[in-house]
Amino acid sequence: MEGLPATVAEQLQAFTYSERAVAYLQLDAALTLVGAGGHLDAYGLTDLRLGEPAAEQAFFLEGLLPPVGTPYFVPSMELASGRAADLHFLLHDDTLWVVLLDVSAERDAARRMQQKAYDMTLAQEREAQLNRQLSASNAALLATQRELEASREALVRAHDQVQAQAAELAVWNKTLEERVAAQLVEIEQMARLKRFFAPTLAELIVSSGNERILESHRRDIAVLFCDLRGFTAFAERAEPEEVMALLHDYHAALVPLIQTFEGTLDRFVGDGLIVYFNDPLPCPNPAERAVSLAVAMRSAVAALAQTWRRRDYQVGFGIGVAQGFATLGQIGFEGRFDYSAIGTVINTAARLCEAAKDGQILITSRIAAAVAEVADVREIGQLTFKGLSRSLAVCNVEALKVA
Amino acid sequence: MTATLQKKICMLGGFSVGKTSLVKRYVQSVFSETYLTTVGVKIDKKTVDLSDRIVNLILWDLAGEDDIASLRMSYLRGSAGYVLVADGTRPSTLEVALSLRRRVEVDFGPLPFVLLLNKNDLREQWAVGEEEVEDLRRSGWWVQPTSARTGEGVEDAFRALAVRVAH
Repeated sequence: MEGLPATVAEQLQAFTYSERAVAYLQLDAALTLVGAGGHLDAYGLTDLRLGEPAAEQAFFLEGLLPPVGTPYFVPSMELASGRAADLHFLLHDDTLWVVLLDVSAERDAARRMQQKAYDMTLAQEREAQLNRQLSASNAALLATQRELEASREALVRAHDQVQAQAAELAVWNKTLEERVAAQLVEIEQMARLKRFFAPTLAELIVSSGNERILESHRRDIAVLFCDLRGFTAFAERAEPEEVMALLHDYHAALVPLIQTFEGTLDRFVGDGLIVYFNDPLPCPNPAERAVSLAVAMRSAVAALAQTWRRRDYQVGFGIGVAQGFATLGQIGFEGRFDYSAIGTVINTAARLCEAAKDGQILITSRIAAAVAEVADVREIGQLTFKGLSRSLAVCNVEALKVA
Repeated sequence: MTATLQKKICMLGGFSVGKTSLVKRYVQSVFSETYLTTVGVKIDKKTVDLSDRIVNLILWDLAGEDDIASLRMSYLRGSAGYVLVADGTRPSTLEVALSLRRRVEVDFGPLPFVLLLNKNDLREQWAVGEEEVEDLRRSGWWVQPTSARTGEGVEDAFRALAVRVAH
C-alpha cells in the first residue's frame, strides 16, 4: 500500500475484504486454532472450536501443516461449499495465519477456457480413434475383399479346369465313340468275312482295311468239292432230326479243318462243301493245301463214319480237287452277299467229287503233278464228265507222303 | 473409544479420466454425465469405518494434466497415498498415469497407491492392452477396474487404500 493515501488504501482493503470474501484462521505453534474471522461461512467454516487442532476442523489443511515456510501459497482450492479459494499461509509473532481469498470467478473463467480446450482435445482424440478404427475396418475390408478376389480367382480357375476336363472328356468320348463305331464295323466285317474265310484270313482282310479284294476278279485257284455218298437216300429214310444231327457232326468236323488249312469256304450245299485256295489272299502251293485238306477231311469223316455205321447210316464220303482260273467276288445284293467263284474249274471239281467213290479223293492231272512230291496218287484214267467237253486224266490220292 | 485418523489422498491422472466422478461416486454415491473440468484442486472428505479405527480420507481431486511438468507438486505435500486414474478407452491416459507415478515417487518416495482403470462400463470401446495391465500386476501394482457410472470397484478400491494408509 506504499505510496497510496491512507484513505485509498483503507478503501482498497475494505473492497478486497468484501469482494474476495476474506476469511482467516489463526493457529498457534501447536497448530491449534486460536482465532478465526472474516467470511468464514462463505467457505463452510462454521462451528469452529478454538483451542482444538485446526486440521480436524478445517480438513483442507490436512497435510499442509506446518507449512514448509512462510509465506506459503496454495492456489485455487475448491472447498465443500463449492467456493474456490487461494490459501495464503503467513507467520506473525509465532501465530500462523491462514488467509482464504475467494477466486471462484477466476476458477470459473479458467474452467471455461480449460473446458473448451479439453473438449477440443477429446474431440480430436475421439476423431483420431475413430480414424484408427475406420482404417482398421478398411484394412479388414480390404483383406476380406482380397480374400474374396482370391477365392473368386480360384473358383474361376477351378471352373476353367472343369471346363477343360469336360472338353477333354468330350474329345475322349468322341474318340471312344469313333473307336466303338469302327470296332462295330470291324466286327460286322469280321462276322461277314468269317462266313467265307478262315478266321485268320478274315482278320487279315479287316486289319488291312482293304475290302477291294472282295470285288470281282479272276484268279488261278485250287477248288475242293466234297459231299456225302448216299446222303439223299439216307435223308429219305431217316428222321429230319437224325439228318440234321449227322450234318451237324459232319460240318463240325470239317469246318475247323478248312480253317486250319486256311481255305476259303464258298458255301454249304446240303452235304456238299466248296473250298478254294489262293483267294481272296494268295497262298503258296494252293494245290498242296487243297490235297492236304482233302486227306484230313477224309480221315475225319472216316472216324465219323464208324459211328454212323453203328447206327446203320449207309453214308460215304467223296472229294474232288481241281485247279484253274475262275471269276471270284461278292455275289448278291444289299443285305445278302456271298463270296463265290464261277468257272469251269468249279464244275470240274464238282464232277470229280461226284465221280469219287467213298473214301476217294479224285484230282486232275494238274493237281496230281503239283502234289507229286507230297502225296501218293494213283492214276484212275481218262474220264468223261457231264457238262465238260473234254475228258480228263483223273487220279486218286492214296495218302500223303510221310515227311 | 475408536481412534480417528485423518489421511490426505490425492487423485492423479490425465484430464477427463473420471477422477472427480469417482470421488463423487464414492463420497455422494451419485454420477453425472456432464463433464466439468477441475481447476486447481477440489477437496472432499469421506469417513471410512475400518472397525478398529475410523479414517477420514481427505480427498484432493487435482486438476487433470496431460502435461506432467505443469502439475503442481505442492498439492501432493503431506499425502498419505494416492489414486492413479486412467481411462480404459484411451490408452494415452495410462501413459500419463505411469509418468505421474514416476514423478511422485521421485519427489515423495514410495507411497501407497492404486491404479484405477476407469470407464469399465464401456468395454466395447476398451483400448488398454490386457497384456500391459498384466505386466503391471506382475510387477506388484494394484490395478482395479472401475466404473464411476455404475460404481463398480469404486468402494472397494478406496476402502482398500484406506486400510493401507491407516496401518
